[in-house]
Amino acid sequence: MNRNHPEVLDLLAGEFVLGTLAGAARRRFERRLAAEPFVARRVQAWEERLSALNFGLEPVAPSPAVWASIERRIGGSRPRTWRGLAAAAVAAAMLGLGWFLWQDTRELPPQAEALIANPAGETLWRVELAADGGRVTVSAIGAIRHPDQRSLELWALPPDAAPVSLGLLPASGRVERALDERQRAAIGLAVNVAVSDEPFGGSPTGAPTGAVLYVAAVARS
Amino acid sequence: MGTESEIGRLLAACARQDRQAFQRLYELTSSQLLASLMRVLRNRAAAEDALQDVYVQVWNQAARFTSGRGSSWAWLMAIARYRAIDLRRRERHFTAGSAEGIEEIPASGEPLENLMMLGHRATTALHRCLAALQERQRDCILLAYEHGMTHAEVADRTGEPLGSVKSWIRRGLTSLRRCLES
Repeated sequence: MNRNHPEVLDLLAGEFVLGTLAGAARRRFERRLAAEPFVARRVQAWEERLSALNFGLEPVAPSPAVWASIERRIGGSRPRTWRGLAAAAVAAAMLGLGWFLWQDTRELPPQAEALIANPAGETLWRVELAADGGRVTVSAIGAIRHPDQRSLELWALPPDAAPVSLGLLPASGRVERALDERQRAAIGLAVNVAVSDEPFGGSPTGAPTGAVLYVAAVARS
Repeated sequence: MGTESEIGRLLAACARQDRQAFQRLYELTSSQLLASLMRVLRNRAAAEDALQDVYVQVWNQAARFTSGRGSSWAWLMAIARYRAIDLRRRERHFTAGSAEGIEEIPASGEPLENLMMLGHRATTALHRCLAALQERQRDCILLAYEHGMTHAEVADRTGEPLGSVKSWIRRGLTSLRRCLES
């Protein structure tokens, strides 16, 4: 199959946008897409052809924590122009100490940490609560056996209160989540965190429904 | 939902690091993108995590849009879908390739329902051209697009042979393009 033939290239672009181009072929095509404007134009044409398929959907408003996380994540990027730099300087001056304190908070060590380990003592995840108490970072560390088509959910266990979900656990890599009021309060008081086995996508009820697989102590600094 | 020109203007402002414009863009577009992420990821928490990544990427790459792109909506949607597809493939890889989860797709995403919707609101050229496809070609394309399914997943889902699914999708895409260009 000649990958440069216009018809073939157009089909590859269509299957890339559709998502059916998968695995190594998808990665190869992504490299071409980045390097060859001719390929990029075909992909763009398919993106535009198919985008109308999204418009029948009922919109779903994201929870406020999502915007808070986005703002925080882009807050770290440096302005790229002199004008931007000047604007940032003015903003910093206006905000005065607050700005620097905020920067400082980001550098501070976590206020609490829990290491979730399997019975053999191998650490599977590290959960860190940021210094300001408003975010958790969960890093997958060990070789994690994930049940097929199930999800593993993390819970804060505050004393004398119901467990509060802190979201799903990643199989690999690191996720960072902004916490809402309820989650902040729960993790702020929790002595332990727990991991439960849940249906794919997480507990449908808001409380743990499956087996509790791991419990770990919250160490506060 | 914002208009095409308003979103294009906001993206241009984002390219100049205008945070207010970025917030406005988020307000106008995020619930639509979240709906589309949820359809592929089938999980609100995962979709909201992906939504974060999508907007961070939009902020960082807004300048790319201004260099002569067409539809701003299509650009945003494409970023969201690629993110969702990547995450979904990783999840599937991770769950040892079992196809059982596919049954969990909510009824609202059934191709049949889409077909009925097509009948009701064949407003765009795309819907007209989709309606003109052979039924099996259209079903396979809609399953793949809406849920981010691979060929194998579409085959599992429809109970049709993998080879047939592949060729229906190819032929369907070719007919779709010809119809849209005509």
